[in-house]
Amino acid sequence: MRRYLLGRLWQSLVTLLLATIVVFLGVRALPGDPALALAGEDRDPESLRAIREQYGLDDSILVQFWQFVSHAARGDLGRSIRTGESVTSMLSSALPVTIELSALAIFVAALLGVGAGVVAAVRRGRPAEWAANALALLGLSVPNFWLGLMAILYLSVALGLFPASGFVPFFDNPIDNLHHLVLPALILGTGLAAVIMRQTRSSMLDALSADYIRTAEAKGLPQRAVIGRHALRNSLIVVVTIVGLQLGALISGAVVTERIFALPGFGKLTVDAVFQRDYPVIQAVVLVTATAYIVINLLVDLLYSVIDPRIRVRGEA
Amino acid sequence: MVGVVALAIVGAACSPVEPAGDQPSGQTGSSGQDVFGDPADQTAVKNGGTLTVALSADPDKLDPTLSRSLYSRYVFHTMCEKLYDLGPDAKIVPQLATALPTIAPDGLSLTIPLREGVKFADGTTLDSAAVKLSINRGLTLPASGRKSELGPISSIETPDAKTVVIKLSKPFAPLTAALADRAGMVLSPAAVNKLGANFSTAPVCAGPFKFASRVAQNSIKVVKDPLYYDAAKVHLDAIEYRIITDSSIRSANLRSGDAQVADSLSTQDAPTLQKDSSLSVLQSQSLGYQGLTINIGNSDGIGNPTKQLDTPIAKDPRVRQALDASIDREALVKSIFNGLNTVACSPVSPKSEFTSDAAQKCPAHDPAKAKDLLKQAGVVTPYKVSMITSNNPDSLRLAQALQAMVKEGGFELVIKPVEYASLLDQQDRGDFELLQLGWSGRVDPDANIFNFVGSEGSQNVAGYNSPEVDKLLTDARQSKDQAQRVQLYGQVVTKLQQDDPLIYLYRQRNLTGVTKKVLGVQTYPDGVIRTAFAGYAK
Repeated sequence: MRRYLLGRLWQSLVTLLLATIVVFLGVRALPGDPALALAGEDRDPESLRAIREQYGLDDSILVQFWQFVSHAARGDLGRSIRTGESVTSMLSSALPVTIELSALAIFVAALLGVGAGVVAAVRRGRPAEWAANALALLGLSVPNFWLGLMAILYLSVALGLFPASGFVPFFDNPIDNLHHLVLPALILGTGLAAVIMRQTRSSMLDALSADYIRTAEAKGLPQRAVIGRHALRNSLIVVVTIVGLQLGALISGAVVTERIFALPGFGKLTVDAVFQRDYPVIQAVVLVTATAYIVINLLVDLLYSVIDPRIRVRGEA
Repeated sequence: MVGVVALAIVGAACSPVEPAGDQPSGQTGSSGQDVFGDPADQTAVKNGGTLTVALSADPDKLDPTLSRSLYSRYVFHTMCEKLYDLGPDAKIVPQLATALPTIAPDGLSLTIPLREGVKFADGTTLDSAAVKLSINRGLTLPASGRKSELGPISSIETPDAKTVVIKLSKPFAPLTAALADRAGMVLSPAAVNKLGANFSTAPVCAGPFKFASRVAQNSIKVVKDPLYYDAAKVHLDAIEYRIITDSSIRSANLRSGDAQVADSLSTQDAPTLQKDSSLSVLQSQSLGYQGLTINIGNSDGIGNPTKQLDTPIAKDPRVRQALDASIDREALVKSIFNGLNTVACSPVSPKSEFTSDAAQKCPAHDPAKAKDLLKQAGVVTPYKVSMITSNNPDSLRLAQALQAMVKEGGFELVIKPVEYASLLDQQDRGDFELLQLGWSGRVDPDANIFNFVGSEGSQNVAGYNSPEVDKLLTDARQSKDQAQRVQLYGQVVTKLQQDDPLIYLYRQRNLTGVTKKVLGVQTYPDGVIRTAFAGYAK
């Protein structure tokens, strides 16, 4: 077990290093120079030189990489070239926003998707199924930015139901916080809701034709219990897996949603940093994300190996 | 998320970028009048409330010495007063100084009297030593963006707490105008000593508001400063600048009431907003311009010696004049910008006190003449020329209109849209034939001309080299006589129109949307929205 653990840890470190190198080089391969992007209109050669020197941009790539890795190892992610703020504090204020937005979007998507999926399966061949299918198709094909714009125009500008932008931290005012996040979460959740709906529908259809459902019905259980307690519960296992797989897509969607609703989240931070060639921010974002992914995968794998010894044996082979 | 970053990186080469520095925002009005907004009637506004300003781009460092973006100036205006300020007529007026500087007869020293009883937001006193420290910081901090604006300062003396004497090694007329911008902002020495180069993380100046917080890429908040010398005139409790880069979403926020002020409205949205009875649209003509730069001699990048490029458009002024003659500026402004921007043929704004007939003369739109000039130059038509331009929707529409227009004059324009950060890179490396970009403009014409067409200019991306223009510009720079400077700039424009290293196209108009519930929001020709003394209507 210890050998397996060490092996997995070693693999994780290599993965992390590779991810860092790829992004480090990728960002530098972009046309454009952070010093110029920062200086914009007001640029003279002397201050450009000074900016490059201050952020080590005139050092060789190897030196820059070593600086970054060695500082990061000590927990120092540097300062934004553009604003001079500490990257660590930028990340720590942006992460909770995206986590909350994603969690709400999953909640919305699960509520809508499972509900519509069950209806579509139970009311097979009737108008309800058609309606649910049409909605799912719409949810999958309409892009987030367009939905967001429409929501702002109709729900915020015309009806004044929700704020069009801005963010209030949960602990400052929970109600205001939710009020600001309802629209973005709805928009972000639509795509996922459609996927969940289709998955729920097909698993439910499988389940409803299974033997154990016939048994349950034969026992004389009421329809609600048959669908809810037996069919749905078994179908949800697949749905949960799908949600897990869609997490990446959700975060990509958050980038667009955060920009439209001016939410101070991780996605907006990342994309803006790329456009402004703010190297320290981009590098830190990737490092943090890659670490999170790797740690979660590691934990899951370890958990599997605890549950199923065959995996551990394969790992050692 | 790694995928997102990868996508963003790939996309960065082909999608709109947020302008990093002063986004070109020169603006003028063709038929429309300037509407600067009025100061608030003290009896009509109530105290309290937070004003939300939707900003089109994220300000950079909140440090007057290091800042390089127009958007940081919006924020500075509420928290960092300057020695001088601009009036709505673009004239310089005292702010932390009590009068315009007294200039010695030899032009080598400026004496500035300071306002007394001014406190910084941290409670320390603003005196001549603080002014000296601030200006010196602009001259010496390695990444300072102020060094060139401050000119040939040799020393700063402080005979007493309320007098500053700036000594120059050469006369430098644009200095007072520079002191009416970031170079003239006074920083708290206590904060500078404590934070050093990280001053931007918690800036302390003297102004109606003080810095409260900043959320990266998203918002900046300032709150009323009770120590401000004129605090009775400040009505709002706080101002929040919220960064919303998409102009239609900015407009939507204004209409939904989530923002009370929105900057840089699109000329597409402005007419609709003007019809909304709950809103008003402020318009001010900027001092800058938008234009086409032709690469004449920038072969090895800026800072390296120029070398004449071997193409007809680089070698022969007649080809450039032909391009100029084939552009119908009036039609451009009408069709692309709803007539909200105005025609420009020179770097001197008609609103500037340095304007003259010579400085405003426009080459006529004459496609026949263009063809004729091309024939004289011996080039085969259609003459193919490629143009790099920023890939935002407005720039692309402009490029397409130009493409259609110059065709008639015998040109085949190939449009190469690039992202803003790449555009800057390409222009400095000299990797272009023709380039569309602009300049947001400064009060003193020197700052709008010298750097761009002077052979020593730090932003002479055309690689243009004319001893005659250099001499005229240097004379104008060192002259103390306004009338003489006006005449010299007129001569510069005449010469520039013969050589055409830069074809000036139009001036943008600063369009700012304001809800009528708020009084006292103003925009001035320097492009800065003034919100410090605004308030909610009773």
